[in-house]
Amino acid sequence: MTKAWGYIITAFIFFLLIWIWTLQINNVLGYSAFISGGALLVTIAFLSLFNVRKRLSFLLSAPVHQWFLLHAVGGFLALFLFWLHTGVFWPQGLYTQILAVLFYGATLSGILGLIMEKIYPNFLTRIGLECIYERIPQEIADLRNKAECLILECTKETDSDTLAQHYLETLRWFFQRPRFFINHIFGGQNAQHWVRQQCYISERFLNEKERGYLDQLFILADTKRKIDCHYFVQTLLKGWLLVHVPLAVAVLAMVFWHLIVIQVFFL
Amino acid sequence: MDENKFNHDQTDYERPNFPFRCGRAALWQTPCHKGPNLDGTCGGTQECDPFLKNDRWECRRENRFGGPCAEGPGPRGECSIQRPPCAPRKALRVIRGRLALLAIGCVLALVGFSLGLNPNAASFASLLDPGPLSKSHKKFTEKEGCSACHAAYGKGPVGWIKAVFTKTDISDRCLNCHMFGGPGSKAHNNNLHTDREIQNTECIMCHREHSGQSMLTRVLTSQQCNYCHKEKFESFSKGHPEFSEKYPSFSRNTIKFDHSSHLNKHFDNPKFSEKAPQSCINCHIVTLADREVRPGTFEAICADCHDSQINKKELVLLRLPEFSQNLIDPSSLARACNFPEKGQSDEEEGQSDEEEFQSVSTDQAALVSAFLLNVPENDPEAYNQPLQNLILSMAKEGTTPLARLIDGHTPKPIAKKLLAGLNPEVLKQAACSWGLNLEYEPPTAEKYGGWYADMLEVRYKPSGHRDLVAKSWVEYALAVSTAQDDEEKFARAIAMRDQLLSAKEGIGGCIKCHAVTAVRSSKGNHPLQVEWGYGKVSNRPYVHYSHSIHIEILGRKSSCPNCHVLDSQADYMSSFKTFDSSKWVSNFESIKRQMCGQCHAEKEINQDCQLCHVYHFKPSFKKEMVFVKNPIYKIPQ
Repeated sequence: MTKAWGYIITAFIFFLLIWIWTLQINNVLGYSAFISGGALLVTIAFLSLFNVRKRLSFLLSAPVHQWFLLHAVGGFLALFLFWLHTGVFWPQGLYTQILAVLFYGATLSGILGLIMEKIYPNFLTRIGLECIYERIPQEIADLRNKAECLILECTKETDSDTLAQHYLETLRWFFQRPRFFINHIFGGQNAQHWVRQQCYISERFLNEKERGYLDQLFILADTKRKIDCHYFVQTLLKGWLLVHVPLAVAVLAMVFWHLIVIQVFFL
Repeated sequence: MDENKFNHDQTDYERPNFPFRCGRAALWQTPCHKGPNLDGTCGGTQECDPFLKNDRWECRRENRFGGPCAEGPGPRGECSIQRPPCAPRKALRVIRGRLALLAIGCVLALVGFSLGLNPNAASFASLLDPGPLSKSHKKFTEKEGCSACHAAYGKGPVGWIKAVFTKTDISDRCLNCHMFGGPGSKAHNNNLHTDREIQNTECIMCHREHSGQSMLTRVLTSQQCNYCHKEKFESFSKGHPEFSEKYPSFSRNTIKFDHSSHLNKHFDNPKFSEKAPQSCINCHIVTLADREVRPGTFEAICADCHDSQINKKELVLLRLPEFSQNLIDPSSLARACNFPEKGQSDEEEGQSDEEEFQSVSTDQAALVSAFLLNVPENDPEAYNQPLQNLILSMAKEGTTPLARLIDGHTPKPIAKKLLAGLNPEVLKQAACSWGLNLEYEPPTAEKYGGWYADMLEVRYKPSGHRDLVAKSWVEYALAVSTAQDDEEKFARAIAMRDQLLSAKEGIGGCIKCHAVTAVRSSKGNHPLQVEWGYGKVSNRPYVHYSHSIHIEILGRKSSCPNCHVLDSQADYMSSFKTFDSSKWVSNFESIKRQMCGQCHAEKEINQDCQLCHVYHFKPSFKKEMVFVKNPIYKIPQ
């Protein structure tokens, strides 16, 4: 937290210096846009280092959480530098508007990602289960296999297919793949209620032995619910980059075009 | 859930940076432990990869998956446990990379598409356009397009590369249409300080285009002005230099109007009080008044009292002076005037050569004719011959000899203007009478003004204000009075000038109101010039002041004396005794900075530099911009 404040204060001082510099340049009727634009370019270049830090690990050896912090603070700094550079919220002209759309898109997706990065890890910790994203399909398949084995065993041991019928009609759908996407990402409990309800419904039709199997099935379903939650939240935590990174790359491409236009037509 | 099942010896090492993931896992089935290959094909079609050892294929299934299978590999080394291949899916990382490439591709496609478009036809889709031009510039550049300002536009890739390594000065292009009173790239368009080096300026320092319908001009702040100006100050109320002692009346008025005598004397006079204006705005036009509040026209504000005075002041062009002897050849005169020959009419005339000559006139010659002939006006011995020669030639040719004399004193012929309306026959008749040493008796008395001859004189009576002949004579008198090398002739020119410029006797009394100023010429002399019109204030070109706004705020009737306080002690009219316009005394007390500061102060009314000062010096457009090259309607010849 102290480090974060350190970065924020550094970024604020940097912005303040650039702002004062532009004011001074304005006072001498100079082109302050070169100063703010240069600072923005440096900031954007620094932000893009976040993506290549792994390839340049011999140079950029800081831990990823520090990189993330710097990236987030740098992103906000870039936003304020952008406003300082353009002087308006919404520029005129097609190419500057495209550049603005891409920049705002990248910034907004970044802010959204930052919010998710702050909320969801805590949320996942509270679930009480840890799960590697790439292994979730295997986990779900294992749970499904276990559930089906349990049902077969129950049918065999109790000579009753009540639980098996119930599984086929309700819980089989649940075990097939992750369910309740929207509810999970908003931290809802619909999946939990649904699993409980399915168990309660069947409980009164089962004998004592079968109820033991149902309890085991409930535990498996509850674990599956937690893994589902992991899956959806982690998908979101990885998925927002599908928006942020292409937008950021497009911003870089447009910035390059902007530099060409300025060099050719203005300088 | 088994927490230890991901131990290194129990599970595969997950590699999220692999480009593909198992197709079975994507369908939520149990993924194979081998996973997809790097080229995207399924790697799990067989349980293991058998190994050839001592000419025998050995099963290599790992222990955690059950160890070597019972069947073992086939004779060709194929695994006995075969599975149908899955369809591996792309990993998120690969999708992200593809999307990033797609984004770059989209940008490049947009750029390429916009460069390929005709810029005039589809400028809205141009990725070179940083924003719409202002209304004025849009109109003037619609034919040339962007190249009107940007040299590299339309020059292709080579031109672009050249432009990168060449300094582009857009301001140069601005000067293709705009012009100023001085150099465009100098501060305030003027060489204000030759003693020190001042940074050159560029138009784009303040004027920004591509910002929409209205031109975006940087508002100059006090700090920005202070950057160049030696005298630095914070605002108008804090440190602005005091106004100069004469402010705002730096140079003499072109019209001699003594506010003091009019307001304190004439307007109180019962004879004129009915015609007197009630307030300043009765004479001064305040509507849309900017830096100066022009007075109304002569006809509107002066004529009531002064119009009748103009035609009372006449010009005496010629006067028959007292001659000491008659030198005119009678026969020549008789031929010129169609008189009977001398021999036939001696008796009738009752005169003979032997008789002593008695001049019909006892006056002096007119100053105008004395100057034209370069003779003293009061010495008959000196002017006898030239003047009588003039009379004889006038009797022969009418106005021609006079015109010749007038034009002989100026580089360009001017007699036509000066003698406009003078009837040659009248002049001839007068000359004939004077040749006979008789007074000329006009057939009718003068009624309508203009040229006329009467008894011993040829006179001009101005028809009213703006009489062109009267104006021409005043200008002629001024022109010849500064262009004489001969001392005597110079003295006569001055005498004639003084008479014509006299407020009481001069033709039309023009100089009673119109100032005469010595102007600086390129030749180094100081020719005199009559200020016929109301002089626009041309000094202090960087000062801007809107009278109309102040009058509207302070009230139309009583606002003027708030700032313009009459100085009754000032000797205003003495300023016009010389021709130097810089030395003069105003009718009003000077305005002090504190007077403006009463309102333009901190936290009150705006006091930015640009409220009262303008940056540019005489901004205007070049001729090509003002004239219509191909008018829709041509005026028939």
